[in-house]
Amino acid sequence: MTLRRRVFLIGLFLVLATGQRADEFKFPLKSNSVRFAAIGDMGTGNKAEFETSEQMNQQRKNFPFDFVLALGDNLYGGHSPSDFEKKFANPYKALLDAGVKFYAALGNHDDASERFYKPFNMNGANYYSFKKGNVHFFALDSNYMDPKQLDWLQKQLEGAGSNDWKICFFHHPLYSSARKHGPATDLRLLLEPIFVKYGVNVVFAGHEHVYERILPQKGIYYFTEGSSGQLRARGLERSNITANGFDADRSFMLVEVADDQMYFETVSRTGKVVDSGVIQRQQTASAVKP
Amino acid sequence: MKARPRITIQIRSAPLLAFAVFAVSFYASVGQGSQAQNPQSPNPQTQNQPAPNPPPDLKSPGFQEFSDRVQKYVQLHKSVEATVPKLKATNEPELIVAHQKILARKIKAARAHAKPGDIFTPAAKEDFLKAVSSEFQGPQAPHAKATIKQGAPLGKVHLHVNEIYPESIPYTSVPPTMLQKLPKLPEEVAYRAVGSDLVLLDVKANLVVDSLPGVIPIEGMNGQ
Repeated sequence: MTLRRRVFLIGLFLVLATGQRADEFKFPLKSNSVRFAAIGDMGTGNKAEFETSEQMNQQRKNFPFDFVLALGDNLYGGHSPSDFEKKFANPYKALLDAGVKFYAALGNHDDASERFYKPFNMNGANYYSFKKGNVHFFALDSNYMDPKQLDWLQKQLEGAGSNDWKICFFHHPLYSSARKHGPATDLRLLLEPIFVKYGVNVVFAGHEHVYERILPQKGIYYFTEGSSGQLRARGLERSNITANGFDADRSFMLVEVADDQMYFETVSRTGKVVDSGVIQRQQTASAVKP
Repeated sequence: MKARPRITIQIRSAPLLAFAVFAVSFYASVGQGSQAQNPQSPNPQTQNQPAPNPPPDLKSPGFQEFSDRVQKYVQLHKSVEATVPKLKATNEPELIVAHQKILARKIKAARAHAKPGDIFTPAAKEDFLKAVSSEFQGPQAPHAKATIKQGAPLGKVHLHVNEIYPESIPYTSVPPTMLQKLPKLPEEVAYRAVGSDLVLLDVKANLVVDSLPGVIPIEGMNGQ
């Protein structure tokens, strides 16, 4: 046995014997923190969506989140009144009954009429913003990034100031290592310079039916959570920008923003924690005085 | 000078992290282990992007004619919409679906004789062909093509004027950089890429207003 191999095995033994497991991650649950969940590509109405939402409900007992970001493909296929019930209202009934609000972005399978569905909190708009505590959220319509939306985004980000978190969410991921679609590089050409200029901290997207956390790109954290209903098993081809990923089952994210830290945990349908960590809020260029 | 953002990420698994640091240091010290991953290393996903193509002339006669026709259509849309109860955010999807259907039905009736080319006039078609072709041949072509490919374009699907956008067909994003080069549209309508066609869609009625066939090069892309 080589020296290298011996050291590796000793290290591995130490980790297994004494190591803290990732599922021992603890949210701070601070009184003034912003707590939410993120789901994507969930609107199938199938059993897996129900089981995932039930797991969210279970997790909420220990991590009482107030709202959910829906990252698009909220309703697959038909958009009849019964589809709204079958693919959204019924699976998330327990959360909705508990007063949890959903904030939706439109995916490529969503009809624009979803903007008027009150439980999605879009108020008739394709893109919109809202603020919770020290976090500004910007829901974008990545199906249709026209000049008007870009102008709106820049004004909104500019007005958000530099001392709060800025989180964008939309459907198509700017960075992705998944096999099916890959990154939306054309969209990235337009959005990334704006994100960098105005100090966007974190971006959530869906579209790829896997979970992936990307290594920071130009100082920004990117998450893809597109497997809260759909799943592309083994659909993730980890690349050198993949920080972590999960493609074996459905999942969703839990997030707590407490002051300058963002704690996150990604949980599978069965309750297994598949990723977790803490992000320190980045200091934006605009916040630095010359 | 702009400051680089300072980022830290702490994965809550201290012993694992400690071992990882130890192992990496050890490997590096003996000079035989694989190198630690460098997030800043060149990567196809992170390489600098080419400069965008110069924008087409949006004041050209063809584009002007198109914009005038769009305005006329929107006037019609608004006059019809004024006869339908205003839709506000609601908990009742029945109201949303009914509003969309009634609006579509009334608009179809109001322009029962509409035909292809009413909005994408022959002059406009020339300008759209130039703009789209420039996007798919310029330095940004790979990005525009990737956007279309992401939507799994349906090569054999062609939508027709006054047809409801089929709910079985997901939206293919119009390449965002291309959108910046096309005439701006009022909120009632939007461009859609459907197979190789550029479609003008009434987004409130979910109705095809006009279609420009065969302008988007989708050869070699998998349709599904």
